[in-house]
Amino acid sequence: MQERPAGPAGGGFRLPAALRGAAPGLLAVILLFLIWEAVCRLFGIREFLLPTPSAIFSASIAAWPLLLWHAWATFLTVLWGFFASVAISLPLAMLIASSPAVSAAIYPLLVITQSIPKVALAPILIIALGANELPRIIVTFLVAFFPLVVGTVAGLLATPPELIELGRACRAGRMQELLRIRLPFAIPFVFGGLKVAAALAVVGAVVAEFVGADAGLGYLIQTSMAFFRTPLAFAAVVALAIMGILMFQAVSLTERLLFPWSSGAEPPAPGI
Amino acid sequence: MIRLERVGKTFPGREGGVEALREVSLRVAPGEFVAIVGASGCGKSTLLRLVAGLVPPSAGRVLLDSVPVEGPRAETAMVFQAPTLLPWADVLRNVTFPLRLMKRAGPATEDRARGLLATAGLSGFEHRLPRELSGGMQQRVAICRALLQEPRVLLMDEPFGALDALTREEMSLELLRIWQGRQMAVLFVTHSIPEAVLLADRVVVMSPRPGRVADIIEVGLPRPRGFEQEGSDTFQHCARRIRALIYGDRLSRAA
Ligand SMILES: Nc1ncnc2c1ncn2[C@@H]1O[C@H](COP(=O)(O)OP(=O)(O)OP(=O)(O)O)[C@@H](O)[C@H]1O
Ligand SMILES: [Mg+2]
Repeated sequence: MQERPAGPAGGGFRLPAALRGAAPGLLAVILLFLIWEAVCRLFGIREFLLPTPSAIFSASIAAWPLLLWHAWATFLTVLWGFFASVAISLPLAMLIASSPAVSAAIYPLLVITQSIPKVALAPILIIALGANELPRIIVTFLVAFFPLVVGTVAGLLATPPELIELGRACRAGRMQELLRIRLPFAIPFVFGGLKVAAALAVVGAVVAEFVGADAGLGYLIQTSMAFFRTPLAFAAVVALAIMGILMFQAVSLTERLLFPWSSGAEPPAPGI
Repeated sequence: MIRLERVGKTFPGREGGVEALREVSLRVAPGEFVAIVGASGCGKSTLLRLVAGLVPPSAGRVLLDSVPVEGPRAETAMVFQAPTLLPWADVLRNVTFPLRLMKRAGPATEDRARGLLATAGLSGFEHRLPRELSGGMQQRVAICRALLQEPRVLLMDEPFGALDALTREEMSLELLRIWQGRQMAVLFVTHSIPEAVLLADRVVVMSPRPGRVADIIEVGLPRPRGFEQEGSDTFQHCARRIRALIYGDRLSRAA
């Protein structure tokens, strides 16, 4: 990006404010857990059907090295899948935005990849590529990349015609127009897509692990359910939720640090 | 310097398209200040964009220094009807953007930009973002951006349209002061007849649908110009003639 964002106008990450912003969400989660605990105890629901939050908590404490180990495996798949989405989606979006003909050729293919259920695709990929990390990364990528492409294309095409005309009056070529005008304009849209992709990458990794893996939180959920260790499975689900939140927050923080002008004037997030 | 020879412009579209301009002929000498007035939609912006090389003529020729204009050129700069600033760049980077894009930015560019911003009353706003400025301030940034290119032809499309009346008068005089210090031909589109008379050597009055040159009025007022001249007979006479050309047929029909 050649247009560096302007100084520390607005933006800036202050912890107290961030905490204050998170307080209502935190309260809601605590309240939900309290109700959940009360319902389980009142109706005497058995643990392998629905464990209480306190049982999940003590299961997490008891098995934390195991949880952490599996979480790490999932996290690596999520990261690789997420970065693959970024590396492929951004150039793809520029290609699609470059001409209506290219867009008409590529978009149907993308929609097809989105209509195929990834759970059905995963075993095929594992047979084709072997039982290693690659098929899991591909599944993660397939789940995560689409909103990023759609968001980036929307941003590139939403550039106001007046700005394009300004570029033309300054004798900008098509490449300059893309890099110095369209792409900076699309930044808020790109980050809208990145936030969705970050959350979806976690979903994608777990889907892949359900089908074929010997490690990861998805694998842990399956094996513990097979032995009716439901509290541990729930602990893995909580770990996944935390991972999703962290991924989302990391993207938001990057946006606020690198592009402070962007977060203030955010466009509506593109649909999934 | 600028020469339009029987220029016509038709935008393609349904029912044969829109004929925006027909048989427009006009000459602008180097350093001359020419204002263009006319009803909304009579092709004023289209005329400027033809001279800027942003759109090609459908008929006739547009010449700059006797060479046909085939695309945007470095010696013309344009102030658009809307400020069109880059939302992600601060004021200073917006002003220097064209020069940086054309790789004409030198070590002195930034200082000159600060100087121009100061004359436009924008000192201290160099590092603000466009969305932190009022509409009038944004338009002043856009004017500074055009002036920084040191164009030999400055095209201004209702540059003061978004300004309040007071800032508008102040900016008019400021523009005249800057123009007098340079060899710069100005084509200035406006809706305000007094503004056109105050600023221009000649006022081109356009008639609508399709846009044609109705007449060209010489403004014989001495320079430097000032608002005290508004009361003079010459000023009133010019303004009355322009008004008659614009509303003439409508008034005669009413009579
Ligand atoms: N890109 C375009 N495509 C099709 N028609 C156009 C285009 N640009 C202008 N026109 C048409 O050309 C005519 C003249 O437009 P133009 O913008 O030059 O008018 P104007 O005199 O600048 O009006 P205003 O004072 O409202 O700015 C209008 O009828 C408009 O509809
Ligand atoms: Mg116009």
